[in-house]
Amino acid sequence: MRNASDTATTSASGSPTVVRVIRGVQVLAVVAAAIGVLVFPQTGPGPFIMSVGVVILSYACMATGWNFVGGFTGYISLGHAAFTGLGGYLVGLLILRADVPSWIALVLAAVIVAVLSIPIGFASLRVRGASFVIMSLALVLIMLLIFQSWSDVTGGSNGLRVPRPFGPEVLRPEQHERFYYLHVLLLVIMLVAWWAIDRSRFGAGLKAIREDEDKAQSLGIPTFGYKLSVYVISAFFTALAGGLYALWFGFLDPIFQFSILTGSYMVLMSLLGGIRSLFGPALGAAIVGYAIEFFKAQYGDTQFHLVALGLLLGLVVLFMPEGILPSLGRLLDRLRPSATSIREESAEELANKRAVLVGDNGGAS
Amino acid sequence: MDLLVQSLILGLLLGGLYALLAAGLTLYFGVMRVVMIAHSAFLILAAYLAWWFSSSTGLDPLLSLVFTVPAFFVLGVLVQRVLIARLKPATLTMMSVLLTFAIALTIEGLLGFVFSGTQRRIQLPYSGASLEVFGARIAVVKLIAFALAAVALAVLYVVLKATRFGQSLRATIQNSEAAALVGIDTKKVAGYGFGVGLATAAVGGTALSLDATIYPSLHWHWIGPLMAIIVVGGLGSVPGAAAAAMVLGVSQSLLQIPMGTTWAQTIFYIVLFATLVFRPHGFFGGRLAQRF
Amino acid sequence: MSTAPAHEIGLAVHGLSKSFGGVHAVVDASVDFHHGRINALIGPNGSGKTTFFNCVTGMIRADAGTVTYRGQDITGKAPHRVAHAGIGRSFQVCRIFPRMTVLDNVLAGVRPTGLATLLGSGRRRSDVERARALLARVGIDHLERAEAGDISYGQQKLLELAGVLMTDPETIMLDEPAGGVNPALIDRISTLIVELNAEGRTFIVVEHNMELVMRLSDHVIVFDRGAPIAAGPPSTVQKDPAVLEAYLGV
Repeated sequence: MRNASDTATTSASGSPTVVRVIRGVQVLAVVAAAIGVLVFPQTGPGPFIMSVGVVILSYACMATGWNFVGGFTGYISLGHAAFTGLGGYLVGLLILRADVPSWIALVLAAVIVAVLSIPIGFASLRVRGASFVIMSLALVLIMLLIFQSWSDVTGGSNGLRVPRPFGPEVLRPEQHERFYYLHVLLLVIMLVAWWAIDRSRFGAGLKAIREDEDKAQSLGIPTFGYKLSVYVISAFFTALAGGLYALWFGFLDPIFQFSILTGSYMVLMSLLGGIRSLFGPALGAAIVGYAIEFFKAQYGDTQFHLVALGLLLGLVVLFMPEGILPSLGRLLDRLRPSATSIREESAEELANKRAVLVGDNGGAS
Repeated sequence: MDLLVQSLILGLLLGGLYALLAAGLTLYFGVMRVVMIAHSAFLILAAYLAWWFSSSTGLDPLLSLVFTVPAFFVLGVLVQRVLIARLKPATLTMMSVLLTFAIALTIEGLLGFVFSGTQRRIQLPYSGASLEVFGARIAVVKLIAFALAAVALAVLYVVLKATRFGQSLRATIQNSEAAALVGIDTKKVAGYGFGVGLATAAVGGTALSLDATIYPSLHWHWIGPLMAIIVVGGLGSVPGAAAAAMVLGVSQSLLQIPMGTTWAQTIFYIVLFATLVFRPHGFFGGRLAQRF
Repeated sequence: MSTAPAHEIGLAVHGLSKSFGGVHAVVDASVDFHHGRINALIGPNGSGKTTFFNCVTGMIRADAGTVTYRGQDITGKAPHRVAHAGIGRSFQVCRIFPRMTVLDNVLAGVRPTGLATLLGSGRRRSDVERARALLARVGIDHLERAEAGDISYGQQKLLELAGVLMTDPETIMLDEPAGGVNPALIDRISTLIVELNAEGRTFIVVEHNMELVMRLSDHVIVFDRGAPIAAGPPSTVQKDPAVLEAYLGV
């Protein structure tokens, strides 16, 4: 799979044929994956497997939405469930209380969340590192409190039933299939947006922030504005993912909508796949999402999936913080003959330069 | 009026427990710049151990401290040595949050697995007893819990101020490079700092078990307020955290009168947001919040 | 050696103070920097030079005092605004973006001119050409595709300078450009400073290597305990009794 971020440039070095082969393999992998995803519903998987497919795609959308902030700026938000939850609830409330048509409600809800994320981002992006993570956690916890307590509007702990966008004549398997492709569409839009930012000047500035924020600022990058912009974009897409899920699932409960677990799933998926890669979060979502559904189907809703999630997250953080795709990319890099010799080459050349310089100076003084 | 006095006293008692737990969090942050999300999960673990000890032996849950405090100390040293120390320094702060978050999830899952999700509560002979203080009725168990927290904080204070270990610990907190230069084994100190921090969770958990209904996911209700307290207190400052804990504990308790328990909890988050918007360095002298 | 005459004042710092807790790092410091000069800021360790740098460039908010640049008030302005005003800086411990390529490191200094360039390609041909020219100028263009974290410390110092030059600053503040690099590289860096100065760029350099300071600069400001205690041409400052006292620590 293609590594959209920095490694793409490095892979430009090395012998042209090897590079071309690697590129070819990457493109092939992406095309194969895309075809697999598109054809999957036509293989007659049955409604249950189909619904698992929708859930995994929904995770992929959430994780990719999360990665607009996490991947570009390196700010790890554990509280993005606040945006999926808000997106979902706003869609439901707009349909139920304001009679807005479903699809308009979906977009409108995401826009409202984006607007709300401006003051939230303003407060939480002023601090870095751990304080930011604390803020993000606090955000979910406060949303949970509000949506549980404000039951006149949100339905409180009884939940909120969201009307389906398709009429009763559309049967369940058909519902799943439609939502499957809608999620694919949303994911594609997000991936294109991520890719566009990745290659832009804006993206270069964001990545500089991820590497060294003070340094980036000293080079004239308005770091706060950049961070806030990408935070709002991330909130918008994450809310869209939450809203689409709400339309499909049809029922919202504050405990599940504003769950710390959902936020940590997004982080785990993205980290596992690789936050600096375009397809990393989606790949991570496929792996973790499948594992979650497998655990649920196999062991039911016991506390065991918490242990599994905790251990997996711990292992990823300890041993693979770069994620699968960058690790694969590094493996491919090793296959290339010239890449390994950068260090020696530079040392040698520096020695040459040194000799030249010393010679120059000897003449001057 | 009685209600007000009662709330005020209850707030102070609650603030004492907050202060002890926030002191633990401040220690981890001080020695290693680690925000220990799992702190409150260990708190609930200690509460469960106290409940389990008491219900299976019939003895007073306070006696469980004899085992849990040393065990948690060792556990803390191990967590630091085996897990946290493995992380790369460049991304330590961010990754340690995720790592300790993972620990929290694991503990919550294991508690649910072993003890089931059923709500538990210790029944004590003195559970129903209460004292009259300034015309307000205060449950004895709450007073015991506060006393426990106060004693633990006092011990912590003496250890930090008067012992050699405390001196090394404070030196490491202020400037670990300089501490290493004058011959302090900062790695060892960091490990012990974690041990002491976790020991506060053992004491806090036992205190909590006297008076609270416990269940595995309860730790999320604690971590939010505790995080708010250490940020408002200015990350890294023990007195700052203690002061913020008292102020917020009392505010929460007083706000419960007009707003009810759930809405009153939002005070922590509102103050947290306000702090970050207007005073990112916190209110009580810490200067570390913005950078870490 | 630069031939720049004493022009008008570029950067003017007045009454700058900053303390951390009880430690007074910079105390009522007032310094004027003239255009076209290579200014050196010297002084014992802990005399407040780096804090002074950080306050001027907006990395730290000063407690008191004003900073103006070409008549424009930049006191308390965010670092990127200071950079936009025309002041570039390096850091004491060299800071580059370790997981970006050498070329991308330099490109990070390109300032977008509008929404179109902001969302346009991060590797515009004209920018890439300019970045390559700068890498060639500092002598590390052969490394353009390496990850910046993989190259040697000396090469990183050169890369940092190239990155600063990409923002095309009129005034360049260097915090210990010769710190931790080998003698050959020190010569390379000092040659670059002289060349760039001849092109009209002003330098403000914090440096501990006295031999370099005396050879390179045309104006020396001596800091002690958070404020300038002497200023003038290197030859005069060298003989100033106050300076000797500060250094010998009587």
